[in-house]
Amino acid sequence: MSTLQPSLQREPLRYRVRAFLAKPANLILLFFLTALIVLSLMPMVTMLTNMFTVHAGTEKKMLRLKVGSWTMSHFQMLFADPEWSRANFWTPLLNSLIVAAGSGLLGILIGGTVAWFITRSDLKCKKFISAVFVFPYMMPAWTLALFWINMFQNSRVGGGVVGLVESLFGVCMPEWFVFGLFPMIVVIGLHYSPFAYLLIGGILKNMDATLEESATILKARRMTIIRRITVPIVMPAILSTFLLIFSSGFASYTVPVFLGSATRTFTLSTKMRALIQAGYEGQGYIMAFLSILLGTLILGINQHFTGKRKSFTTVTGKSGQVSLVKLKKANGFISALLIVLTLFFAIMPLVSFALESVIIQPGNYSLSNMTLNFWIGTEDSAFETGMPAGILVNGTMWWGLIRQVGLAVAVALVVGTCGMLIGYACVRRRGTWLSRAVENLAFFPYLMPAMAFGTIYLAVATSASFKWLYGSFFLLGLVAAVKFLPFASRSGVNSMMQIAPEIEEAATIFGVPWVTRMRRILFPIQKSAIISGYLLPVINVMREVALFTLLVPYPRYLLTTMLFSFNETGYAQYGSAVTLLIIVIIISINSLVNKLTGASFDKGIGG
Amino acid sequence: MKHMLSVALSLLLVMAMAVSASAGSVQDALEAASAMTNEELYEKAKEEMASGAVLNFYSTTSFAEKAAANFMAAYPELDGKVVYAEIDDGETYTKLTNQIGSGVKDSPDMALVQNGPDLKVNLLDDELSFNYFPAALKDVVPEAYQNPTVVTFINSLMIYNNKEGAVDVKNVWQLVEPEWQGKVFFKDPTNETVNLNFLIMLTSPEWTEKMTKAYEAYYGRAWESAEFASASYQWIDGFLKNVNYTFTSASKIATGIASGAAGNMGIFVFSKLRKVADEDRPNLSILQFENDVDCFSGFMYNVYATVCSDTDCPYTCALFINWLLSAEGFAGEKSWNSSQGYYSPNTTIEKPADLEDQSYPYWSDKLVFEDLNYIDGLGETYNEIYRFINVRVSK
Repeated sequence: MSTLQPSLQREPLRYRVRAFLAKPANLILLFFLTALIVLSLMPMVTMLTNMFTVHAGTEKKMLRLKVGSWTMSHFQMLFADPEWSRANFWTPLLNSLIVAAGSGLLGILIGGTVAWFITRSDLKCKKFISAVFVFPYMMPAWTLALFWINMFQNSRVGGGVVGLVESLFGVCMPEWFVFGLFPMIVVIGLHYSPFAYLLIGGILKNMDATLEESATILKARRMTIIRRITVPIVMPAILSTFLLIFSSGFASYTVPVFLGSATRTFTLSTKMRALIQAGYEGQGYIMAFLSILLGTLILGINQHFTGKRKSFTTVTGKSGQVSLVKLKKANGFISALLIVLTLFFAIMPLVSFALESVIIQPGNYSLSNMTLNFWIGTEDSAFETGMPAGILVNGTMWWGLIRQVGLAVAVALVVGTCGMLIGYACVRRRGTWLSRAVENLAFFPYLMPAMAFGTIYLAVATSASFKWLYGSFFLLGLVAAVKFLPFASRSGVNSMMQIAPEIEEAATIFGVPWVTRMRRILFPIQKSAIISGYLLPVINVMREVALFTLLVPYPRYLLTTMLFSFNETGYAQYGSAVTLLIIVIIISINSLVNKLTGASFDKGIGG
Repeated sequence: MKHMLSVALSLLLVMAMAVSASAGSVQDALEAASAMTNEELYEKAKEEMASGAVLNFYSTTSFAEKAAANFMAAYPELDGKVVYAEIDDGETYTKLTNQIGSGVKDSPDMALVQNGPDLKVNLLDDELSFNYFPAALKDVVPEAYQNPTVVTFINSLMIYNNKEGAVDVKNVWQLVEPEWQGKVFFKDPTNETVNLNFLIMLTSPEWTEKMTKAYEAYYGRAWESAEFASASYQWIDGFLKNVNYTFTSASKIATGIASGAAGNMGIFVFSKLRKVADEDRPNLSILQFENDVDCFSGFMYNVYATVCSDTDCPYTCALFINWLLSAEGFAGEKSWNSSQGYYSPNTTIEKPADLEDQSYPYWSDKLVFEDLNYIDGLGETYNEIYRFINVRVSK
């Protein structure tokens, strides 16, 4: 008996391991657990060590220590010197918090209001408003920032360059309106309001209307119903949306760069880059780490509210009768107002960028001041402005575009596929620690602001063992794939949750191999959701700047970093032309995918 | 495990030896190249290109792209083999220190960089890059500009919008007066090292003395302050308080001042006037050409050429540097010399007479010149000055 015991103990384990590995879902989870530890957690460790070491450049020059030596001086400088600390940490932190909170509130206010009108009222032109309202979310946030400057800069602000509003109407807006915290809040709030619209609209559309109807029968006033019933029901969704916008607003980099530089309004992310650029990398890494901590905290709170929301919305069944609020006489006015506003922020930026890309003298919008040289200029005409040729006949621009599209496609293929596999494996093994670990690890990059995430990979790629990564296309693909995985993995989990395991089990009984099951059963059922999982990374990569700005070998390597460089260095017309090009590409990709597959941003809510 | 460790260590050793051997051979090649004629270098360059090399170079000045195009036209067998990439000043040394020796495809073979002190500390001292200077030009380029090799000087000048007449600034201390609040434009010195170096140079003993004298001339009393370490610090404090940072680049400052409000003044790169629309160009005046400003009317900095230690085409790099220092390269069609604000260290090259500019010697006592040795020798003091500037730039 005693001699048999050890083999009996071993055999079940061996069988268990074999049985465990026989399931594709387990293999997938093991693979992603390893990959995500290496790609998410290990870079964090590198970043942590970089907070305590001396870097080449200013730090080496200043401290007179060898590169890589251990030091606490980054912490001392950032926190122990009150004047330095206030200018480089506390004030930027406060500004970031103000922008994040302000844009969160504004986004909710605009997005929530529109969502209510679309789902709960008899508003006219719902389909049109719904389709156009999501435009600003598809556009990169910084395009709205540039649009804001193009519109409102004026002769009394900054350097006195005339913008479109002053040029057409003679109105000069004050400085706080044009640059600083206010426009940052408005622009980020407007950019994320479609996001709030999609989330809150989704809840409102699926919400049980019985309570509201009961209140209506009991002759409660409309405002009372909204205040006492509708808002409390969607409150968890509102809070969750607020926190997600807060998190994105806090991490925003490009908008504060464009709207804050003139008034020295730094946020944590712009200061982080400024310090890294000035050679104070250690302090930059500390700020990146603190941003990640804050992001983690926010997302933790969000998960708390999301949990509450789930319990809220599933308490009662869904009413089949949704009575729409009749707007009566106000319908025409509200519809017209929403159409004008959505058109202004969706279409006007395109018009503005088109105009800015052809004018020679800033602020002069007469025909005689227009030229196509910035688009198709020959060597001579373009040379005067410092470029070898107009952007459509410029090899550098085309290479930037090819790289950006190549990167977007490569990242989408990797991320979309990984997201779907993670979704499949997590759902099939739901409840196990492995499933939970992979799901959480896949979501981990979402907690990190893009600039901080880029900074982490900068730390890895500049460490002695990984220098071969620095400035490579592979690094950009890698960092983008990890950063954009959370959306795809969540989308994958959600779509796979909707498929009953019995369908796959039936095929398994008939001996259908796993690959065929995926290809012939699971993919076709969730085609639209899976394609959305591929589409989102394409659009994310096509508009991303902050993630790549520290990692590209040179600024004109990608289209977006080239554009950022154009705008920072004063090639305003080229910048506008490239911006227009990027927006058109993104909208075209979305429309094309929508036409081919039916997947799009606003699907499911509009009208 | 032990076996694996020893294999890994051996591999690392072999790699380190290979890198140092490569660095050594580049240094030897550059030494040999300095004594060669251009014809000999061209032959060597052709051999390098035939073996698959491409000269990738980084530059902070966009004119280098045109210089490269002219170079390839002059040496047709190198056509398509010289690839330019513009690089931001602030990221220059982060990128170079990480890319040199990384083995990444298209990593730079040479670079045209500004900010001499960082070039010395980050690249030359650590032998990540090497200096190259042709022996044939030793007599026409002053010794101070041979190591590291300066390929061009660039100046930033006080230029203002004259739509309502002259601003009549005759002493730099006028710029710290309240009436200049928000009317003087300057690129954020914490983002642009040459602007930072200009302010740092003002703290040198030589410039502190000049600033003190200018203070006395302007205010009619001796300088004294309990708050500031010197007159230069006081000027920097007052100047940064008045600076308007609306425009984030020299080009934006140039076009912004030209089309903006009357009386605005900027200290920005002179050559950026080429970006200003023809209609706006008459709106701009160069202060130095109107008044001999007491103390200075701008600053001058250097652009250096440096060859990366892992290049596989050192002779092509040498030939390209020769080209940049020659009259054909520097003063050729649409090259540096055709624009205002670029000056060759080669004393045989004069600015064209039809350009609204003056030759290099004219500026020698009117501008603050960047001194690599002064800034490099600051040590801990560098941090103090940087801190002083940083907290005044940030709100």
